[in-house]
Amino acid sequence: MELPVVWANYISIALFLLLGCGVWSIPKSAVVPKEYADVGWRDLRWWATGLIVFQILLYAFFS
Amino acid sequence: MHPIDLAVVVAYVALITFVGIRFSQRVKTAKDFFLAGRSLTWWVIGLSIIGTNVDTNGYVGASGNAYSIGIAQANFEWIGAIPAMIIAALVFIPLYWRAGVYSIPEYLGLRYNQGVRVVAAAIVVVVSVFAMGVAMWALAITLQTFIGWPIWLGILVSGTVVGLYSVAGGLGAVAITDSIQVCIMFVCGLIIVGIGISDAGGAATFMHKLTAENPTHLSAYLPADHESYPWQGVILGLGLVLSPAYWVGGQAILQRTLGAKTQWDASAGMMFAALAKTFVPVLIVFPGLLALVMLADIEYPDMALPWVIKNVLPVGVSGLMFVAIIAALQSSIDSSINSTALIITRDVRHVLMKNHDPAADLKIGRMLTLGLLLCAMSIAPFIGDLGGIFNFLQFLLSLFQGPMLALLLLGALTQRATATAGIITLASGVMLAGFLSWVIEMNLLYVAFVSFCYAVPALWIISGFTQPHSQEHLQNLTYSPWRSQ
Repeated sequence: MELPVVWANYISIALFLLLGCGVWSIPKSAVVPKEYADVGWRDLRWWATGLIVFQILLYAFFS
Repeated sequence: MHPIDLAVVVAYVALITFVGIRFSQRVKTAKDFFLAGRSLTWWVIGLSIIGTNVDTNGYVGASGNAYSIGIAQANFEWIGAIPAMIIAALVFIPLYWRAGVYSIPEYLGLRYNQGVRVVAAAIVVVVSVFAMGVAMWALAITLQTFIGWPIWLGILVSGTVVGLYSVAGGLGAVAITDSIQVCIMFVCGLIIVGIGISDAGGAATFMHKLTAENPTHLSAYLPADHESYPWQGVILGLGLVLSPAYWVGGQAILQRTLGAKTQWDASAGMMFAALAKTFVPVLIVFPGLLALVMLADIEYPDMALPWVIKNVLPVGVSGLMFVAIIAALQSSIDSSINSTALIITRDVRHVLMKNHDPAADLKIGRMLTLGLLLCAMSIAPFIGDLGGIFNFLQFLLSLFQGPMLALLLLGALTQRATATAGIITLASGVMLAGFLSWVIEMNLLYVAFVSFCYAVPALWIISGFTQPHSQEHLQNLTYSPWRSQ
């Protein structure tokens, strides 16, 4: 029995959510240099989160 | 070609040559030449990565594919790129930076041994030389199609322009010119979207017209029984093996991150590239969909983009679009030449020649850049006659990609993988891939996936019986942010 194609979108979204969890498991000190510790936009985990959210929206839209 | 379009092309060539030659004044050492003196900022790195990534297939071929299969073509830019780019930015680039290497083979040499380094370097060099020949040939074909130049003239002129800034300015000139080229590509892409949607009567009408005759053209995935792009193959083969192999271990891509002024700029550059990559379908997928909506009278799908340039774009903009295609090709060729010259200079010469002189790296790097360019220009005219050569390159890559990715992943993420296990896994993984290709005649995409699935446990198990490097040696060569807390 084959899964319907829309499951590919669900799996993609799940993979992106999993990636998001992985991203936030990385400690801030490994991503942001000490001199920028207080500068919010320098935290690349937020950049990654933005990208992941956008990808989830794309795969939800084109399903 | 209209005189205004021609003027746009001439202005572009003059600008790129001027910027490239001007940048050459900053090159004093091999580090300046190969890593831009570690001076690149995040946005230059990001744009340069996209310039290197989008090539002939990306432009003309992807538009043609989008004409045939629709938005599913965008998977190569989305799930087939973004996750691997995020992992590269947050895990692998900091690791390569901490190791202080110039290249990925150099990292593998430190992590495993010099044998793995030379094998990895040799694969990159052989594949790159032929790939550059293919790209140069594609560039000449484009020039012949649009302005009627004979193939030899197209190769001579484009080779001279690329050579002027690549040989003189090294990675710095390549990265800056790539950035300009990507900006041109995006401006053209946005103009096509604006004109296309306006001509179609708005976004909603555009989508309605598109799906009326082609109901699956707005679906991200195609059915499991699709001949070329079944959705399982896209997620497993493209998303889990081929994409990480390219974004985590591709020298031409990662070299500009190693030339960043700080580690943060290197990672942010890759992240910015991922943002730009999200929008690359606007450049390379939309024209194919537009040709379909506008009922283009074309013989085969790859004619979709040329048709859009000829029939949709106004004078001046079509010249700019032509420039964008040339730019896409040039930015891929110049990056390959620079990274291949680096690998021969450091990963082959430094390892195989015991009495090498590191002070001669700059001179040798420049000579190799020129030599590689001339080699690509010499091969290019014959690519059309050697139809099987591109398939051979794909075959060669499929043999090595799975085992190499396994070595890179386990080597970077664990301290368990040993040098002996690395060599055994690489050799046996390549033999398995060869068996799958020749004897079982398996599809090349699946060969890469199966050999990767074999190599990971093989490397893990064999490492348990062989001598590892010391923890001190591995400290800066494995990713362990939690341990340092």
